[in-house]
Amino acid sequence: MNVRSKHRLAKAARYVALAVVVLIFFGPIAWILATAFKSAPDVYSLKIFFTPTLQNIRDSFATPFLVGERTWNSIVVTFCTLVFSLPIATAAAYAFSRFRFPGGSIWPIGVLATQFIPPVVVIIPLFIVFRQVNLLDTRTALVIANMSFVVPYAIWMIKGFIDSIPMDMEEAAQIDGASRLRAIWDVVVPVALPGIATAAIFCFVVSWNEFFYALVLTQQDATTMQVGLMSARTERGDVWEIMAAMGLVIILPMLVLSRFVQKYFTKGLMSGSVR
Amino acid sequence: MASVTLKNVAKRFGHFTALEQLDLSIGDGEFLVLLGPSGCGKTTTMRMVAGLEYPSSGEIRIGDRLVNEVQPKERDVAMVFQNYGLYPHMSVEQNIAYPLKVRGIGKTDRAARVRAAADKVELGPLLARKPRELSGGQRQRVALARAIVRTPQVFLMDEPLSNLDAKLRVTMRAEIKHLQHELGVTTIYVTHDQIEAMTLADRVAVMNEGRIQQLGTPAEIYDTPANLFVAGFIGSPPMNLIPGAVSGGTFKATDVSVTHPDFGADGAGILGIRPEDIEVVDPQVAGIVGSVYAVELTGEANLVTVLTGTSRVIARASRAWDGKIGDKVGLRPDPARIHLFDQQTGLRIEPRRVPGAGNH
Repeated sequence: MNVRSKHRLAKAARYVALAVVVLIFFGPIAWILATAFKSAPDVYSLKIFFTPTLQNIRDSFATPFLVGERTWNSIVVTFCTLVFSLPIATAAAYAFSRFRFPGGSIWPIGVLATQFIPPVVVIIPLFIVFRQVNLLDTRTALVIANMSFVVPYAIWMIKGFIDSIPMDMEEAAQIDGASRLRAIWDVVVPVALPGIATAAIFCFVVSWNEFFYALVLTQQDATTMQVGLMSARTERGDVWEIMAAMGLVIILPMLVLSRFVQKYFTKGLMSGSVR
Repeated sequence: MASVTLKNVAKRFGHFTALEQLDLSIGDGEFLVLLGPSGCGKTTTMRMVAGLEYPSSGEIRIGDRLVNEVQPKERDVAMVFQNYGLYPHMSVEQNIAYPLKVRGIGKTDRAARVRAAADKVELGPLLARKPRELSGGQRQRVALARAIVRTPQVFLMDEPLSNLDAKLRVTMRAEIKHLQHELGVTTIYVTHDQIEAMTLADRVAVMNEGRIQQLGTPAEIYDTPANLFVAGFIGSPPMNLIPGAVSGGTFKATDVSVTHPDFGADGAGILGIRPEDIEVVDPQVAGIVGSVYAVELTGEANLVTVLTGTSRVIARASRAWDGKIGDKVGLRPDPARIHLFDQQTGLRIEPRRVPGAGNH
């Protein structure tokens, strides 16, 4: 074998490897996409060419599946979780990064340690508490539950960033005439923005995908899309085409997100640890 | 513009005492340099004037106003940081304008004053750039412009030149001196570089271990160091310090015998002579004898290191001096510029008055 054919072989091997990876990652997505537009009889066939129909999408928005309302619940819950978590986490991260507390690093570690408790352990007490305060089956309950695991991670992600920002800048701002809060807003937050954005994306993904709390704490009104998916398991068996249509709605923001912000996300993660 | 007064100021961090009993008063428009090795408390002193640290006890006044626990923004001071402390997400123009912006000064007025400050430090063409697109020297100019864009009561400079290369440092030093003279603003400048201190200061406060060792004009500090620390810290190469003993008006150590009318009381002492105050002569006619240990040509002079007894003594000889390692030589100190220190306390013993000493 001469050098050239060897080179060609290596190239071919590379393409084969790429194809396998693409198949593994895009196969399921393609499958869901196809199933969502198949008519019921086609679902169990392996046909690649079929007559696409919008009937599944239409059905999924109707009773009992209610994709519209449930997606709206998901959007509201995720959005509110982010809107409350990020300022809280940023403020806490700043405090943990800049001030010395009696007990030292016990506090930030303690915040993280709450995450070692499995959700199954706290779900029953949580359910009882929410029932007591009449928050069962509300979006508020889900926002609170989501924040319980989003905020600690966000604190740690943002803290790493703020740790790497020299004190000089905010001290300069204070001497230049800003109050401490203003210095944080004008200098620390803009400089930590890649870190805050990274945390935001992370929080978005985990609260969007959250299933367990939503399953237990909601019944009807506040049910999210992710729990709603279960309603496609009917007494007539699993309605795969509806499930696929719903799944499409669930993964859509992720697909959009990965297309536009993935680079930013990895950059944020990298610079946080390297600097 | 205002004076700055520190009275009995102490600063403790937990059990660590950074400063004890500091008294310092800086006149209106004066350029005071705090000089000392790292960890001597000079930066802490400045940060307390800035309001970034609060004193554990004592009084700090800017003008007549007690500012002990006043927020930095209320103190009307401006500071230049060692690492510049620029805002990386803002352009040079926004950086310089920030002090005006937070004080609510209008856009048009702001632009004019930013322009004026930038021109003063020759930053005019760089206003649109971001700090990361600038060189170290340019960044420090931005920091300076940000400090002078409004007229503060006091300028604080925390080792502003130590991140610059040697050549740029000399240029910037002159610029800072000129700027301060032109603006006439009271300035406190922290450095560990004695050349910077000597060249810039109206007065220098030499600090060590949380205390002011000596406060005086650069000439006073140089000519009459109050103690061994100041003597050894100021000057390059440093003052030669030879341990020995005085008896009957003569200082004696191995190979050393120096007589001086001012040497009064007998006892152990340390003789101090600056290299430039020593003449290299024939061994027969000199009070100090030894053999040449090394010869270094600096360009304008020859630094001759001589081994006498157990001490090495450096003398600054003329360029033309020629001698070889191992040669026997004699050293003749200028009798008007001899220093003697107490071996126990390290204090200067001499009838001549020492200005600014006496913090003990």
